[in-house]
Amino acid sequence: MTATLITTLLPFECLAPPFMQQALLGLVLLAPLAATMGVQVVNFRMAFFADAISHSAFAGVALGLIFAVNPHWTMLLFGVLVGIGIMAVQRGSSLSTDTVIGVFFSAVVAFGLAVVSRDRTVARDLQRFLYGDILTIDDQSILFLKLLFVGILLFQWLGYNRMLYIGLNPLLAEAHRVRVAIYQYLFAALLSLVVIFAVWAVGVLLVTALLIVPAATARNLARSAGGMFWWALVVSLTSAVAGLILSAQEWARTATGATVILVASAWFAASLSVTALRGRSRA
Amino acid sequence: MGVPVERPDPIAVAFEEVTVTLGGVPILDKVTATVPAGGCTAIVGPNGAGKTTLLLALLGQVRCTGEIRIAPGADGAAPRIGYVPQRLLFDRGLPMTVMEFMVMGRQRLPLWFGVRPRHRERARALLATVRAEGLADRQLGALSGGEMQRVLLALALQQDPDLLILDEPAAGVDFQGEQIFCELLDDLRLKHAFTQLIVSHDLPTVTHHSTYVICLNHKVMAAGPPREVLTNETLTATFGLHMGLVASHAMPEAGPGCTASCCSPLCNLETKP
Repeated sequence: MTATLITTLLPFECLAPPFMQQALLGLVLLAPLAATMGVQVVNFRMAFFADAISHSAFAGVALGLIFAVNPHWTMLLFGVLVGIGIMAVQRGSSLSTDTVIGVFFSAVVAFGLAVVSRDRTVARDLQRFLYGDILTIDDQSILFLKLLFVGILLFQWLGYNRMLYIGLNPLLAEAHRVRVAIYQYLFAALLSLVVIFAVWAVGVLLVTALLIVPAATARNLARSAGGMFWWALVVSLTSAVAGLILSAQEWARTATGATVILVASAWFAASLSVTALRGRSRA
Repeated sequence: MGVPVERPDPIAVAFEEVTVTLGGVPILDKVTATVPAGGCTAIVGPNGAGKTTLLLALLGQVRCTGEIRIAPGADGAAPRIGYVPQRLLFDRGLPMTVMEFMVMGRQRLPLWFGVRPRHRERARALLATVRAEGLADRQLGALSGGEMQRVLLALALQQDPDLLILDEPAAGVDFQGEQIFCELLDDLRLKHAFTQLIVSHDLPTVTHHSTYVICLNHKVMAAGPPREVLTNETLTATFGLHMGLVASHAMPEAGPGCTASCCSPLCNLETKP
């Protein structure tokens, strides 16, 4: 059914092979997830957090390979633990957010390196995970992605407004009876899941871009907090679809993840000129 | 002016031996004081006296020893607090309208679906009470200091507070704006019957409107109705002790508390009719 829907909506020859349709489905699920979480990542100034989580994937995979467990699961588990750990330390200490994240960042990367350096054969398998490929996404991942999609949708539905409150000023939110701690931990856990999943779909280098670029573009274009959500969705979805199709063209033949991010970055460039124009008309 | 205290007021907040130490430096030293219900209590003291820290302790944002009790709300439920911060540190680039700001703590339906009419009306009414009805569609990041302050007050009032806490409400507002703001608060307090707790470092106007004053300089130096606390006598006594060490055995309790920067303008105010 999905296949016929795709061929009707997007009659591109390059989308005919099943693996392309699978990739499209994966991207259409993942990109909006990342973009909506990205709205809060940008509001909370947590871009660096996403970076740290994505680099924890390295250690997570290494752990899985060492203990002969499916690295996908150790990656997820380890990522969520690191995410919650960062949130806990940050809430309980007077250090600034980026300092706390910086400490975790170096620790998880070092841990991954230490584990890998003990066992050379592990290093080869790591490659596969660190440079994920959406074109090889399997049914199991798609199923997991669908579950995550429902979870995040629920979280955003129930928490979007309160998360704005917390992003604006956590102290004020707390005084006005918003349960800041619960939202922050839940957000950290869900964001870690999205980031780790994005690592295995688009690769570690492109994760932050998938989170940040659509949300940053939305910030430039939107005039309200509600509008920011829609812009992030539009930018991420169009970038995902256009990126996939472009990357499959004969003349391009580029990596899919990178092409998606390039299209999103073009959106961002366009949004900058919109902001500039707005600024001029206001002056 | 000021509302006279007629009956023995019940207590809205009781601080008992509240001590806060930050990084080895004692900020609050066994602060014991009460805030009478229904009035406007001002916490005054010089810069760095620990006023804001006391508020943060009250809001549960700073670890402290001792005890802070807040009286339950009128219906016996947990007390509702409205908080107006000194200066809202937020990201001014965030696209958000004042209307969205007002409803984000109330409306469950995400703001991507817009603001429900029910919430819109209530927000407009609240903005009108603080004379900010014209700001509803403005960008939050584009508000001036005084406008922001009124919007923050409206947000705090949305809680239907039993206790309204304001931290340096007149910081960054011109004198006239300050005067208007204080009168507005007086009106609102009489209408909604909440307890108002204000922190200020040298605001004669704010203290002029208060019914109870706590002089704070790491510890409580004096507390009571303004007429009792801020008399020439008390202040002279304080400064006399400070300058001349007349009775050195009395120093620990009644040492130099409200210094000139904090209390002398209040003293001048007192002599006015």
